Amino acid sequence: MTRTTTLAAFAAAVAASFAAFADSDTVTLGAAVQLTGRLANTGRYYGDGYALAVDKINEKGGITVGGKKMKLALKVLDNQSDVNLGVRQYVQLLTQDKVNFLLGPFSSNDALDDSSVAEKYQVPMVQGGGASTQIYARGYKFIFGTLPPADDYFASTIQMLGKLTPKAKTVALIAADDSFDVSVANGTRKLLKDAGLELVLDKQFRENNADFSSLLSLTKSVNPDVILWAGHEPEALNFIRQAKSLGVSPKDLYSFTVGVPTADFRKALGNDANYACGMTSWLPSENNKDEWFGDAKQFAKAYTDRFKYPPDYHAASGVADVEAFAKAIAAAGSTDPQKVRDELAKVDFESLYGHVKFMPNGQISLPQIVIQIQKGELVEIYTKDFIHQPEYPLPAWNKR
Amino acid sequence: MIKAAIATVAVVVLLAAVPFIAHETVVQYAINALLLATLAQGWNIVGGYAGYPSFGNSVFYGLGTYGTAIAMAQFHHSFETGLAWAAVFGVACALIFGIPILRLRGPYFAIATLGLSAVMGAIAANVPIAGKNIGLILPLFRGDRMFYELSLALLLFATGIVLWVSKSRFGAGLIAIREDEDAAQVMGINTTAYKVAALALAALVSGLAGGIHAYWITFIDPASAFDGSLNVRMVIMTLFGGPGTVLGPVIGALILSGVSEVLASQVSSVASLFYGFVIVLAVIFMPRGLIDMLAGVRFHGLRYFGNNMRRYRL
Amino acid sequence: MGLFGQILVNGILLGGLYGLMALGMGLVWGVLNIVNLAHGALIMLGGYAVYFLYTGAGIDPFAALPLAMAALFVFGYLLQRFVLNLIVRSALLNTLLITFGLDVVLVYLAQLSFSADFRTINPPYAGNNTEIGPVTVPHAQLFAFLVALLLAGLLYAFLSRTKTGRAIRATSQNLTAARLYGVNPRNIYCLTFGIGAALAGAAGGLYGVVSQITPYMGVTLTAKSFVIAILGGLDKPLGVIVGGLVLGIAEAMTALYLDPTFTDIISFGLLVVILVARPAQLVGRA
Repeated sequence: MTRTTTLAAFAAAVAASFAAFADSDTVTLGAAVQLTGRLANTGRYYGDGYALAVDKINEKGGITVGGKKMKLALKVLDNQSDVNLGVRQYVQLLTQDKVNFLLGPFSSNDALDDSSVAEKYQVPMVQGGGASTQIYARGYKFIFGTLPPADDYFASTIQMLGKLTPKAKTVALIAADDSFDVSVANGTRKLLKDAGLELVLDKQFRENNADFSSLLSLTKSVNPDVILWAGHEPEALNFIRQAKSLGVSPKDLYSFTVGVPTADFRKALGNDANYACGMTSWLPSENNKDEWFGDAKQFAKAYTDRFKYPPDYHAASGVADVEAFAKAIAAAGSTDPQKVRDELAKVDFESLYGHVKFMPNGQISLPQIVIQIQKGELVEIYTKDFIHQPEYPLPAWNKR
Repeated sequence: MIKAAIATVAVVVLLAAVPFIAHETVVQYAINALLLATLAQGWNIVGGYAGYPSFGNSVFYGLGTYGTAIAMAQFHHSFETGLAWAAVFGVACALIFGIPILRLRGPYFAIATLGLSAVMGAIAANVPIAGKNIGLILPLFRGDRMFYELSLALLLFATGIVLWVSKSRFGAGLIAIREDEDAAQVMGINTTAYKVAALALAALVSGLAGGIHAYWITFIDPASAFDGSLNVRMVIMTLFGGPGTVLGPVIGALILSGVSEVLASQVSSVASLFYGFVIVLAVIFMPRGLIDMLAGVRFHGLRYFGNNMRRYRL
Repeated sequence: MGLFGQILVNGILLGGLYGLMALGMGLVWGVLNIVNLAHGALIMLGGYAVYFLYTGAGIDPFAALPLAMAALFVFGYLLQRFVLNLIVRSALLNTLLITFGLDVVLVYLAQLSFSADFRTINPPYAGNNTEIGPVTVPHAQLFAFLVALLLAGLLYAFLSRTKTGRAIRATSQNLTAARLYGVNPRNIYCLTFGIGAALAGAAGGLYGVVSQITPYMGVTLTAKSFVIAILGGLDKPLGVIVGGLVLGIAEAMTALYLDPTFTDIISFGLLVVILVARPAQLVGRA
């Protein structure tokens, strides 16, 4: 029984590897992304973003590699939100589907595991789904990322707080315990200390936690001026809804690392989303010019027309990953992994996502834009200066 | 007897040759399948032979994963030492918690093991030396061939244990416990000692599987180490293949992982749908496992299916 | 003191909903000997049913509950009739397997039909609350709690006072004897599973009001229901509600007095300790 299975698998694999011989006029990018499963809600931004970027680049003539015109191809697998499956799929992409380069999954935990595959096989991976500094702390040479460091997520927000009146003094920090959010919390504690803000509550919760009633009651009892919250979207949603039902609200402002920039989050909360602050490394602004899409606003329109839902920074980040490869491969004049890797380390260009340039450890450096939901609309508030005025301080629930 | 031995050796040699002749992707899938098959065999000892359906064997796997990870990432020991730690962590857990938990019967035992697994996972997420919830990073090592051969060796070891169990007095004692525990006790079998030993054996192979997994995957965290879905999968694979048999779990594991893996790579988007259907149909048509079905069809032909349905439906 | 009171109230309200979630699973397990791993999927489907009734037809979620329950009842009845009845007399573990497969299929189909977007059931009164001294009592959670108690009470009354209910209990005790007394097992089995599904559906609808609905919400809920059903004694509705309350309060207290990251350790640890320390409670149910 086992013998037959092994032989059959062997035969299938041989056949598949023959079939997967890539056309030598295409450069194939591969990724295993959460298209189904728990994280599919955000994972789809990557699958769709990659597809749109590849098609657009090909539409504009593809890339020129060493004088030869080449097209981009894309192979995306569904890792079903299973980290371990994703790892195996990345190996499959490299060895069976014979893709040239790798794009990343969503989520820092997945990026941590999957990037090990890239490093093992010495093939560059540009990932736009993991912001945790852990990813870049291992000294890997083949991993690049377009999400800015998790530690700095609240930097713009805290800077902004110093410029608003009434002056906020006390902060409650509530963060999940997964890699990304722990990075955020660690960085935030330092930032708060440097800004002279007092941390009156510093609590962690298990990721995937659905009930915040105890944390909220605890928060109410310390009555902070500001709540800084780090976690994932479903949890942010629950937190806000439960905060309303328990009548818990900070005196001045609350800010969330996720959710606020995303359309279905705002839709699910309706009016309860108002006054919530968040951050994004990207907005669909005409000021972000792009070689292929014109500018970010046109990109957003193209994305929404094709996929029937608006993009957020996840999608833009995914597009930036594809564009970074396009630039690096053209600069290297070849599809040799090491050469492309060296060019990726040097890329420096403007795109719809912003300025794409990687720090020595492989991670991009972009400021977070503070945003707020005002009357159902997403409004840019602050990067280094005020763009629009925030609705500050926020009113208590029973006064909205 | 001689024929069976020669056939077995031939199969083992062929399996060992896989990484040298097969495609790398097959090796990847194979390592995963072999580790799952080992888990299934471990479960088989406790659930199949002794009749104690554990729903938390992933706790031994998780402890094994962490044992190796802590040894290698925090203390910079070698892989061999890491594996030793994995075995120790797993077996220690079985011995410490086995005695109180094995007093429970049936579904209560199942729930207690589930609870134990969840507690361990939650503890790992809170203990600094285990890296808390952000996990641990092991040194990078590219050597799939080594992992494959090691996993194969572990599976052979586990299957060997099950083979010994099936032919020994110890095994007969386990079966007696499964069929009628009170009678077994009256007959003079020290049921507690037998059950704990069975659990310890399961813990040993499951822990080692976890240790291999840790080094292979290089980054571990509580969610992936104490992966709850493993519990259901190892039970399913054993039941699919045939509990209380020597090869059932192996066949069940290899077939089901094969199906799942092929689906995930070829028809990626509808993979889970087909997988679910396969399982439902398997339970309806092969309620006593694949091995039983093969034997039954050989004996009774297609009437086997009809007989089963008549027997097990309302 | 005020904080303690608030946490206690939070725990009780949450616990009631937990208990409701587990009622259906316990009933099906205790009576039919089926461990339904697709229970969470049924909760999820109930949630979507109420969601669409609310957003599509404008029916108030609490008014939509009976409709969702009826739909889930029919679904459960058919599932038992055409799928589960086929394997009901084989090993207990087979029921686990087949429901596992069903769960995978149902979740997949849900994702396909409803996408992975979050849905929340947000009636205008969803965020309201009343202050009783230092304690804030949220309305949505309170109503959910009361509905849970109501349904548990109805189930209890049904099982102990009505003819059909008694037939169900008879079947669970001794199928052969029940048959001899004229009970039609097929009908009873389908009815029981249908009721279990209906209860799961109600829990799902309430869940959508206090939390959110996604195709994957069922996984953790199945595990919790498992635990609570056992704690409560499977098909004893009042026991299951108490089990839910115990878990809810334990989780809330842990988050306050220990650390929010310890809630799983406490709830599952508590489970293991109770199981091991009180085997007498489990006599007659093995």
